Amino acid sequence: MDELDLLKKQWQSREQDLPKLSYDDIYKMLLKKSSSIVKWIFYISIAEILFWTILSFLVPESSTKFSDDIGLHDILIGVNIINYTVFGIFIILFYINYRKISLTDSIKELMANIIRTRKTVKYFVIYNITTSFLIIIGINLYYFLNQDIVFKYMSEDYGIANISQDQFMRLFFVIQILFGLVMIAFILLFYRLVYGILLRRLHKNYKELEKIEG
Amino acid sequence: MNKELEHSFVTQLEENQNIVHKICRLYTNDSDAHNDLFQEITIQLWRAFPKFRGDSKFSTWMYRVALNTAITLYRKSKRSIKTQDFEGVSFKISSEDYDDTVEQQLKLMYSAVKDLNDIDKALVFLYLEDKNYREISETLGISEVNARVKMNRIKEKLRTILNP
Repeated sequence: MDELDLLKKQWQSREQDLPKLSYDDIYKMLLKKSSSIVKWIFYISIAEILFWTILSFLVPESSTKFSDDIGLHDILIGVNIINYTVFGIFIILFYINYRKISLTDSIKELMANIIRTRKTVKYFVIYNITTSFLIIIGINLYYFLNQDIVFKYMSEDYGIANISQDQFMRLFFVIQILFGLVMIAFILLFYRLVYGILLRRLHKNYKELEKIEG
Repeated sequence: MNKELEHSFVTQLEENQNIVHKICRLYTNDSDAHNDLFQEITIQLWRAFPKFRGDSKFSTWMYRVALNTAITLYRKSKRSIKTQDFEGVSFKISSEDYDDTVEQQLKLMYSAVKDLNDIDKALVFLYLEDKNYREISETLGISEVNARVKMNRIKEKLRTILNP
């Protein structure tokens, strides 16, 4: 008798050690698939807020000094407070969605929850892209209306000389616009990649559920 | 809502859940991974269930779908599974039946089986489940001769691992 047969004998006497799931446990598994996706949406939104927070600490002092100098300090703080509040609300909403989906035990309810989650994510993305856009536009509008101060502090802080104010401002806005576009493109790409994939999966689950339901 | 189908599926899976648990034990190293695989297999079975016509036994059909799921998943994560958790695979043997050396050998054997590649593991699993070569070949979709040849090779491989 070889070792494998020894293992076989042992294998068959081991059945009682196996876990035992109830009817309800198994039934719930049929619905659970979406909850892990929604959990990821929740985690990623937290990671995102951490990322932006850490990034704001990495901004060089000279840059914050410049915005303080030209009088944007209070406005930027206000914008930040609003932004973090809205972000926080979205994170709470994501968490509520996650809790709801993990506790759901009917297919109809689950489908409704998936639709709600998709909507929340959509609003979140729209909010983020719109605010980034508005902030970039707003700041540049402010720069545009206060060209004299911008030039004054730019030449003080960064020591630019040998260039007229007109030339400098033209260059300045070209760089600003380019930077803004890159920024928006980056944000769009990020959301498309991260949330796009999760939303597509969620949608697929929804379609499957629809089939079961039908 | 197709309540009847759902009920019949869950009832049958509940009755035959040991099969899935055993596959999970063989293909995973901790209880979290075990549960994940169990859930994934459940979902795959449920997806395939409408196509299950009952021309084979539910359990036979289950072996096929469940093993396929485990094999596919295992392939995807092959590179990440490198370490072998010996505690997790520890073999529970009542001490009055076997002496230490036999227990040691079984442990070694079991971890050697776990180290086999995905297909070989499926083959050994069915062998341990006391399936004959005809059933093994049907479940895995290979010829009976091929199953025998593969099985002999695996036995040979295991023997060299155990008696270096």
